[in-house]
Amino acid sequence: MEDNEVIIIGGGPAGAALGGYLSKAGIKNLIIDGANHPRKHVGESLVMSTYRVFKDLDFLEVMESERFVRKYGASWHAPNGKEFAAPFDQIEQEGIPQYYTYHVDRARFDLLLLKQAENLGSRVYQGVHVKKVLFENGRASGVRVNIGGKEMNIPSKVVIDASGRATILGNQLRLKKKDTLFDQYAVHAWFTGVDRGDGPTRNYIHIYFLPIERGWVWQIPINEAITSMGVVADKKVFRASFSDLSAYFSSSMQTNPRLQAAMREAVQITPFTPEGDYSYSMEKFVGNHWMMVGDAARFVDPIFSSGVSVALYSAKFASEQIQQAFATGDFSEAALKPYEDKLRKGVEVWYEFIRLYYKLMPLFTHFTQSPQHRLDIMRLLQGEVFERDETKVLDAMREYIQKVEASDSHLFKGHLTAVPID
Amino acid sequence: MDRKSVLTDYIKKEILRNDRAKISDDQDLLSDGILDSLGILQLVAYISETFGIEIPDQDVVYENFHSITALDTYLSQ
Repeated sequence: MEDNEVIIIGGGPAGAALGGYLSKAGIKNLIIDGANHPRKHVGESLVMSTYRVFKDLDFLEVMESERFVRKYGASWHAPNGKEFAAPFDQIEQEGIPQYYTYHVDRARFDLLLLKQAENLGSRVYQGVHVKKVLFENGRASGVRVNIGGKEMNIPSKVVIDASGRATILGNQLRLKKKDTLFDQYAVHAWFTGVDRGDGPTRNYIHIYFLPIERGWVWQIPINEAITSMGVVADKKVFRASFSDLSAYFSSSMQTNPRLQAAMREAVQITPFTPEGDYSYSMEKFVGNHWMMVGDAARFVDPIFSSGVSVALYSAKFASEQIQQAFATGDFSEAALKPYEDKLRKGVEVWYEFIRLYYKLMPLFTHFTQSPQHRLDIMRLLQGEVFERDETKVLDAMREYIQKVEASDSHLFKGHLTAVPID
Repeated sequence: MDRKSVLTDYIKKEILRNDRAKISDDQDLLSDGILDSLGILQLVAYISETFGIEIPDQDVVYENFHSITALDTYLSQ
């Protein structure tokens, strides 16, 4: 008997949002999370497109009443100290009547969203570890869990992997493909006393470029007092510093003048957390009676704060597909495939943008300042675009890069990196 | 103001952010570190706005940008 129509492994943003959507559609679902929320998580800055999902899930009031820090824009700091600010009020987005998104303490945000799923009708088990996904006759048929030291099977019609970077199903089915282009690594911690300035960019996300290839630092306000700081760089750069993350972190802070100034009075209040095994994609996102959402399907470089948005939209798309499957009774891989195609195309737009960005870094700053491209770049940055056809600005970036590559004496020639753009 | 002075002014005010900087017309802007990649792009955008001249991407080369005089000559073509 299948009491649970859908089992969702993981109660992070992807799993909780999917639970919420399914509950609203009247589809019984059980969310199983190995952790007890609240629990820490990296990925603290959102993009504007998350608004629509919050609205769908009646969650906007919670975002407001919980007073998450409003994010009104983004600022990039070149290694020479120059700042390029991009306020969000320049873009008009259909159905989004506010010019800001949020920075979130993920422990609190994830707990609230999970509670919201519960309010909408999802059942939630916390602290229950999923050992594996069960398969029967070539289809997913439930999960094997460990509850208080006792193992048992829970059957369901559909199994969703929302286990995040634990990638339970991807590991079990050996579907994980590591990204060979980006072997990045991050180290982050919370600080008090970071000087965010007093101007309009005080609560922006600040990205500081470091004078090393693909190296940058994030500065994300968590509340009035606390700021999240993280260093991202190629794993090779880190390898030498594994033994002393603290020394590595502080020396990175000295390599950009504006960053150095911001950190002058900063006091660290949480331990350094490393994040490795960075970018990957699964060969498949769906199979017979199973699907993957959020980071369980794919993770791309976090430079544009796309992670939570991709997780939430994958939940939205997955719920539409699941509703259709319940309507037709067809849960086969072929029937679920349109979801995979849609999500893949959407994330591919981000991924292409990220590749072009790292290919020729001055270009991005140029485009954010150019009257011709500025708005298109901003739309892209807000997670608005899930269709490659709508992103002509990527073609423009591509053309520019090709011209620099073809020229013998272009002044940016020296800035080209080895990242392939195709 | 002639074009050279307009360009010099812009570089001082917006790129170097130093009104009192001294830049001569024939000074090498690139090897002297006055223009870096971001500065060049700012300048390209400014020239388009101010003079209505679109500099094709492939013309962003040393010969055209190494000094105020070189830039002015290029823009006169």
